Amino acid sequence: MSDLALDLQHVAKTYKGKVKALRGIEMSVARGEVFGLLGPNGAGKSTLVKILMTVISPSECRGSMLGHAVGHKPTLANVGYLPEHHRFPKYLKGAQVLDFFGAMGGVPRRERKLRTGQLLEIVGMSEWAKKKVGGYSKGMRQRLGIAQALMNDPKLVVLDEPTDGVDPVGRRDIRDIVARLRDEQRTVFINSHLLSELEMVCDRVAILVQGTVRSQGTIDELTVGQDSYEIEILPSGEGADALGTFRRALPGEVNAAGGATSAGLTKLAGFRGSLADGTSVEIEKSTLRLGTADPHAIEPVIDALRAQGVTIRSLRQRRPSLEDLFMQAVTDPETGQSLKPGAAKDAKKGAAR
Amino acid sequence: MIIQTWALLVDAYRELNAKKLFWITMLLNLGAVALFAALGISERGPTFLHWTFDNDLMNTRLVSKELFYKTQFVSWGIPVWLSWVATILALVSTAGLIPELISGGVIETVLSKPIGRVRLLLTKYLCGLLFVTAQVFVFSLGCFLVLGIRGGSFVPELFVAVPIVVLFFSYLFSVCVLIGLVTRSTIAALLLTVVFWFAVFIVNLGDEIVLAQAEGAAVKAEDAQKNLENQITLADRLLEQQAQSGVELADADGNPIEGLDARREAVNIALASSRARVTEREESAEQWQKWTDRVMLAKTILPKTQETIGLLSRYMLSMDDLKKMMAEDAGFDPEDMEDAPAFADPRVATRLEERKRGRTVFWVIGTSVAFEVLVLGLATVIFVRRDF
Repeated sequence: MSDLALDLQHVAKTYKGKVKALRGIEMSVARGEVFGLLGPNGAGKSTLVKILMTVISPSECRGSMLGHAVGHKPTLANVGYLPEHHRFPKYLKGAQVLDFFGAMGGVPRRERKLRTGQLLEIVGMSEWAKKKVGGYSKGMRQRLGIAQALMNDPKLVVLDEPTDGVDPVGRRDIRDIVARLRDEQRTVFINSHLLSELEMVCDRVAILVQGTVRSQGTIDELTVGQDSYEIEILPSGEGADALGTFRRALPGEVNAAGGATSAGLTKLAGFRGSLADGTSVEIEKSTLRLGTADPHAIEPVIDALRAQGVTIRSLRQRRPSLEDLFMQAVTDPETGQSLKPGAAKDAKKGAAR
Repeated sequence: MIIQTWALLVDAYRELNAKKLFWITMLLNLGAVALFAALGISERGPTFLHWTFDNDLMNTRLVSKELFYKTQFVSWGIPVWLSWVATILALVSTAGLIPELISGGVIETVLSKPIGRVRLLLTKYLCGLLFVTAQVFVFSLGCFLVLGIRGGSFVPELFVAVPIVVLFFSYLFSVCVLIGLVTRSTIAALLLTVVFWFAVFIVNLGDEIVLAQAEGAAVKAEDAQKNLENQITLADRLLEQQAQSGVELADADGNPIEGLDARREAVNIALASSRARVTEREESAEQWQKWTDRVMLAKTILPKTQETIGLLSRYMLSMDDLKKMMAEDAGFDPEDMEDAPAFADPRVATRLEERKRGRTVFWVIGTSVAFEVLVLGLATVIFVRRDF
């Protein structure tokens, strides 16, 4: 048995009209991990999820899901899926929804009955079991949807925007459910816009941009070499020049981004550059950010600042958040502009930059 | 597999039940049965509840109670109620099954389950047919009891209505499924199916008219032939009298007339026009026959809705039963029909019925099912290939 719950080697999808939604996805998800899929609108996240769930047929697909080729219908008996914007028939009651979709998943009647009660309890919907879905709020439908995805006791759970429309309490409950699934050694694949949510629950993430995987790995792996220290000072007086203060405290020459030197520094709102040893420097108002994880490297800077009589308001080690990673991934390194959302229409014209 | 199929059936029932139409249709069916039971026949004529309508042709002295009820079932129970009212209600109820299935937010969840798309679509299709089966069964059971209790004869053949009406409905439902799949709209599926049904009805009506005209022309050609034979017999008799009197037949110039036909025409001046009429009517019958063949070709590729329902009449009423009900046995004179339209001639009605019954069950069902399979096949291909 493969250790990978998902092993995608080349997944591509071109819609009619030559819209290239996916351009060859390479992705692997280990069994038992919580994997987050993120990306801007139109990046192809939902298309990828729908291909895995056989809702959409891929133009090209090499890879496996739970050891079988993607699209292998019987494998879906071991997969639970919560679609984005799902809609359950209004004429069904909560318990009937679970029973119906459990049956569609091939779960025997006795087991369905047992699991219906258990799952409604887990998602906090027991009191609504005999009420029609038509009267449910968005959050309640989402909770029921998660219960539905778990009816077949799946090895892999695919959740597409699970916290969409859910209040903070509901979001916390969903995080608890995901944690519980991880404890039960199930693989969870989450597609979400809420980066903070993903950051809290995911072991690994992949960032999808314009139909390709821009980066994937654990948050630690993705942030290697991106730790920094932030020093915030208290402006010493009226018209104080924070930029000059920091400049005087930094060792040696500071090269500004784009090749200029610190000699030409003026009173700017911000500055980006690097020290002679390559350590990045970023100054924004009264905050200095040094791109190093080494605490020894910042001691001389603190000493120099103190020597100037500057009061240090705060000093903190900073690690990039998932949002930072996301923004890096969706920013064009050449122009510094965010990439346009959506899939490209033509391979040449709209190729991912 | 059975778990999923059963789940889909239960879900379809819940969906129909939620629309209330299932029960409304069921009540209407029971109402139709009650109406059927309220009808009756006495020595004086037909009855409705306690009212009697005096009728010299329709009373128990001429028609048995059993035949009366059978005829009512075949005359309006099948062609009016089951073929039109119940079918429209069934279409209204089931037209939404596929559009609802493929609507956004629903189909994704269903397709993510370990069930093939072909089986999913066909099971949903069968769910629609099961709805109609239940409705027709209730109506047939009611009519069966009315026939047994009121008509004095339990006729199990009546239950043939169930598979036949379901088969008839399945032709239309296959079109409804295809349109629902393409348009994703219940309203469009319903309306366009009704339009298709109307088109089939028009072709059937055309067939009925052309067939009646062809049979009418054939009957008239036969009448003309009989008339010609009578004229010939009359001419031969006159020739014989002529020969006995010793008078030689001559033309206007005094020359003797040669040849039997010429001599016959000379003694019976109506003979020439009779011959002309035979030729004219045979040509007319031939022309109508050609039109019949053309319409048949169009009918062959379309589902035979009317003929499929007509199969019930074949089982329920024999030709002898029908003839009893037609004017042929009530002192009909062919001479009265000389200039009457084809539909007014009871002989044409009989021959028309015979001709329609002459169309084999294989042709009626086989070609219709072939159409249905084609339409469903197309729907299945679309459903299997579509990205949702």
